Amino acid sequence: MSKFSEKKEYLLNNATYKLLPFKFDRLNSQKYVLTNLSGEFTVIENHELEKIVNQKLSPEDSIYSHLRSRHFIYEPADKAAIQLLALKARTKLSRLANFTNLHIFVVTLRCDHSCPYCQVSRQSEDKAAFDMTKNMADRGLDLVFRSPSPALKIEFQGGEPLLNFELVKYIVLEAKKRNEKLNRDLAFVIATTLSLLTDEILEFCKVHNIFLSSSLDGTEELHNINRPRAGKNSHQRFVEGLSKARLALGFDSVSALMTTTEQSLPQVKSIIDEYLRLGFTGIFLRPLSPYGFAIKTKKYRAYNTERWLDFYKEGLAYIIELNKSGIRFTEQYTSLILTKMLTSNDPGFVDLMNPAGIGIAAVVINYDGGVYASDESRMLAEMGDDSFRIGHIEYNTYEEIMLSDKLLDALENSFTLSVPMCSDCAFEPYCGAEPVYHHAVYGDAVARKPESEFCKRNMAIFKHLIELMHSDAEAKQIFLGWANRC
Amino acid sequence: MARESSVLIFDEHFYSIDAIQKAAYRFIHLYAVDFAHKDSKIECILTPTQEISAEGNEHYLNEFKKEVLDQHLRIKIKNETEEVRNLILGIAFSNSGLLADE
Repeated sequence: MSKFSEKKEYLLNNATYKLLPFKFDRLNSQKYVLTNLSGEFTVIENHELEKIVNQKLSPEDSIYSHLRSRHFIYEPADKAAIQLLALKARTKLSRLANFTNLHIFVVTLRCDHSCPYCQVSRQSEDKAAFDMTKNMADRGLDLVFRSPSPALKIEFQGGEPLLNFELVKYIVLEAKKRNEKLNRDLAFVIATTLSLLTDEILEFCKVHNIFLSSSLDGTEELHNINRPRAGKNSHQRFVEGLSKARLALGFDSVSALMTTTEQSLPQVKSIIDEYLRLGFTGIFLRPLSPYGFAIKTKKYRAYNTERWLDFYKEGLAYIIELNKSGIRFTEQYTSLILTKMLTSNDPGFVDLMNPAGIGIAAVVINYDGGVYASDESRMLAEMGDDSFRIGHIEYNTYEEIMLSDKLLDALENSFTLSVPMCSDCAFEPYCGAEPVYHHAVYGDAVARKPESEFCKRNMAIFKHLIELMHSDAEAKQIFLGWANRC
Repeated sequence: MARESSVLIFDEHFYSIDAIQKAAYRFIHLYAVDFAHKDSKIECILTPTQEISAEGNEHYLNEFKKEVLDQHLRIKIKNETEEVRNLILGIAFSNSGLLADE
């Protein structure tokens, strides 16, 4: 005779379990994926779904304890279940209360590169036409310090911001001066090709703890095709700049982003190998954005979502194999998604936020004083569409900018919990509203999600990652490491 | 290859119009859907928006039926968990400084 009663005897008065809010979608023809209110997921067999929903599951069933511990179901006597789920949901959304963290200053549109996929840069010597002035910078800083966020990041973008480095210096020094009284956690980033780095610039960056964010598209041949400049030596200048910057600022003070062009598609492994060769510990496999010159030069339509997904999956498989062989390397977009899937934290990546990250997570102060809801918004404006130009730093107050109808309407209309299909999608906790993308491509901040390439791309990635974790225990361990990086 | 309409009939004793409409929305990239209500039956007339093979059409019609069942279960979960969902969100945002009457 057993010392313990059957599991079902522990249910109070033999009552049945109750459902907690969860959503589900088909993972493949045999399985469903379930996600709860805080984004925790589980995978079940098709036949188990009706049983769960119709409360026919027995405590003896193998998935019962799992569903209970992950907050998909609860027993009437489970007093902590609701409190715990609420705590997790609240933690996920805690970033919202801080409001805008990232402030992008476009200090010039001038650039020494002429990348065919670039959204905004200008090959111009006319400083007056495309450079931000000190007065604009001062008004921009007024906006920065109105944000209630305890952490403020100022990112300098262009064009090539080093072509207006005097203004970068001015903004850094002025921001630090103002911050002496305000005591925010202040950080600076320069988005640069590294081609114009000098010892003087590096010295300034070292003194003021400035991080450099750069671009590397792959091997020398591919990089130089994608990122042309006079002298045809973009890759060589990048490598020289990288070496100098690491020496001056520290090895981890420079990051790189890649952009996928048609030429990149057959060579994902060699692109990753180039990142490894240059000592990077991760790569962001990034598709082209539907803005600016990428549209004008027809680069954006050069490949479709399916082809990019093949590229991504091939790259991810290679990176997983590298990790299995003992080489630590991450795919950064995957890492952001895994943080949302496997932890209670939200990494605050603007493309994958709901409410959308426009304005409330990031804001752009353009060289001409225009304020935009995101980097993509100002790129859209360069195409003649100022739908997300939410004000001007000289003529509008902080309140007028942040409470503008353009911003609030876009945030409200694209809120995924009230958008058709998103509202009942199991992957909604991992996804984002992306009103600017949908407006740019479909002329509507919401768009029909079954037709959305953004939806297709991200759903395919979410399913792929869950299937990988379900079928490959070692891959799951690697992914847990990516999601829980210090 | 053809663009002929197909008709699927659902009994409203088992499926709500809400579930059927939500399923139709998920297939908006494949079919234009018209609805008709006769006796206690809901008719869905699905017209492909582009040419489709007979096998492809049959596959998607079967998927549509599965989706209607999924939507039916989603609505059931949503209704059954409404109270606890509001309770959880209420607890999550209490004392957060985000509500007007705190």
